[in-house]
Amino acid sequence: MVFTSAVSFVRSKGPDEFWKKRRIFKLSAHFIGRSRNCYSLAIRAVHRALVYATKGRKLRKLDMSDLWVTRITAASAQHGIDYGTFRNGLIQSNILLDRKALSDLAVWEPYSFKALTDVAKRKVLDDGLSSTLKNESNLDEIINRGTLNNCKSS
Amino acid sequence: MSVLKRVQQWATFARVWHIYDATWQNPFASAELIKKYLMGLYKPIYHPMNDCGDHVIVINSAEIALPGDEWTKRVYFHHTGYPGGATWTLAWELHTKDPKMILYKAVYRGMKGNLQRRHTMQRLHIFPDANVPAHLLGNVSNQIKQLRPIPKRLDHMDPEVVKNSPKIFDYPKDYIVR
Repeated sequence: MVFTSAVSFVRSKGPDEFWKKRRIFKLSAHFIGRSRNCYSLAIRAVHRALVYATKGRKLRKLDMSDLWVTRITAASAQHGIDYGTFRNGLIQSNILLDRKALSDLAVWEPYSFKALTDVAKRKVLDDGLSSTLKNESNLDEIINRGTLNNCKSS
Repeated sequence: MSVLKRVQQWATFARVWHIYDATWQNPFASAELIKKYLMGLYKPIYHPMNDCGDHVIVINSAEIALPGDEWTKRVYFHHTGYPGGATWTLAWELHTKDPKMILYKAVYRGMKGNLQRRHTMQRLHIFPDANVPAHLLGNVSNQIKQLRPIPKRLDHMDPEVVKNSPKIFDYPKDYIVR
């Protein structure tokens, strides 16, 4: 059922049985089997599909955030810091990046991501939680506010 | 696409071969570790629908160590489908029949049951001993670190070193060493 112009679609709001069914068939056009063409089956399938679509809008967001966490976990594990420690270290350092931005950096900007893990690791070291880190090489090059305060006091 | 980018693309999506020594390792904890490499979960480009999993070669699967008394308590269930076709096999029995099976089942059950699981399992190569065919071993470029270090056994140590190391106590005369 192809609509070549918007005119017929506008008319399909009327009380006419044909146009009412046509509105449903337009939504069921890609279904498999008789639920594509038999109205009584199509209307049930369309209702179910719309319920799935409503639920799917929320599930899609959850799936994406799960994927971002998986990716950040993988990328931070490569630099010897686990996900929770990494996020906490960034927040303590006032680097407020969300999961989407971090996972994008992990995929497309691995060097920037490594710099972020180094900052987080430096913060974790300054907080005296070095046992949570796997390798602590080259962290002396990084200076943050905590390090400066430590230098002043010592 | 420049030459550099093309090589980068290859390097990103190439399958890496890992090797894991299962000697004295807990198969169920190892399965969690092996799963990450099989599914590509350790890569930042991971996506359930992109095929970024790697191959894992597991050697010495006959030498696995089950925790506690699981050799005698863990039971593997199988049903042939016919009436009275149910069998319950203890872990030690299964291990004597096929030393690869416990590890295989541990990895298989560690993954979510979907259509991809059987294809992912095709990339797991388990060997009961250290004899890996050369055409597989040639692909290996990474070794997965064992979960636990293997302690060195006294009877495997150099007898010279044992004799020269300081002695802390003598066994009593009537003590039976098992």
